[in-house]
Amino acid sequence: MFRIAQRVGSTVQCVVRNNIQKSSAAVFVRHSHGKQESDEDFDNRYEAYFNRPDIDGWELRKAMNDLQGMDMVPEPRIIIAALKACRKLNDFALAVRYLEAVQEKCGSRKNEIWPYLEQEIRPTLDSLGILTPEEMGYGKPELAIQDVYSM
Amino acid sequence: MASRQLVRVAAQSVKIPQRAICTSAVRSSDHDVVLDPKTRDRIYPKLGNRDIVGFGLNGMASYIDSTDFPCPAIRFKENTPDVLALREKEKQEWSSMTLEEKRELYRASFCQTFAEMKAPKGEWKSILACVIMGLCMSGGLLLWMKWSVYPELPRTITREWQEKEVRRMVDLGSGAITGVSSKWDYEKGQWKN
Repeated sequence: MFRIAQRVGSTVQCVVRNNIQKSSAAVFVRHSHGKQESDEDFDNRYEAYFNRPDIDGWELRKAMNDLQGMDMVPEPRIIIAALKACRKLNDFALAVRYLEAVQEKCGSRKNEIWPYLEQEIRPTLDSLGILTPEEMGYGKPELAIQDVYSM
Repeated sequence: MASRQLVRVAAQSVKIPQRAICTSAVRSSDHDVVLDPKTRDRIYPKLGNRDIVGFGLNGMASYIDSTDFPCPAIRFKENTPDVLALREKEKQEWSSMTLEEKRELYRASFCQTFAEMKAPKGEWKSILACVIMGLCMSGGLLLWMKWSVYPELPRTITREWQEKEVRRMVDLGSGAITGVSSKWDYEKGQWKN
């Protein structure tokens, strides 16, 4: 009888030990959130994405919309890559739109950040013939729109 | 012979996964989505011949100006011959285009610039007007209630009545241990300090 009890006991012990090992593995997995991407890696990733030779308009717009939702101002090299992608896809309007979006991302620090960004991307702007929103005359509201609810 | 038969069987079995259904729109190599015209008219009856150029806000081919989503799913203007001619020109060097053409191109793709989106609409005036109107209405209601709904205040609410009441309580010796009379000095005829 004792022997049976002992055997049962050892089985239980074994099962418990297995479970503990499993659950500790689960805890280990749960605590790790994957590798944290460094800023450098992030910039590289987006630059490479925009620089892909077979990028299409959907992907370009998707990345721009995504970047707009992030809590940061994109690095000049990301902006340059995006502008080049616009050139590749022959979409001038999108390039200007993206510059406007970047200015919007500068938020209340536009006076400090935008001059730096502009100085960095100026060679690209000149070589591609892209105008900044201010040069396009879009620095100030130009046209008023009729309210859709009172049409 | 047997091997050829085997190959045929294998080919037939491979065909099944090819029948998998694909519901996403077919994307051409360049910009726009290729929907056959009938489906397109059924799904997007108001789209006209605008290009669907991206995913946009929620996957619907609708135009929305938003600072959070700079790139809407469709272009703002339809592909009129003028715009198409400009698009052809857009394929050449951009520095050779005039400012007017560039502005035209921008307005063909987008309705409002960011500056226009963020321009004050003067909406605060109507909000302020509504708030003041609400305050006026509730104030008027209060005045009306006082005027014609509430009964007269009781006669005991006056200062004199209350002073006389305390005087009478002291004279009667009400609350002599801890109450109001305990604080009255009967010998000096004044309140105790």
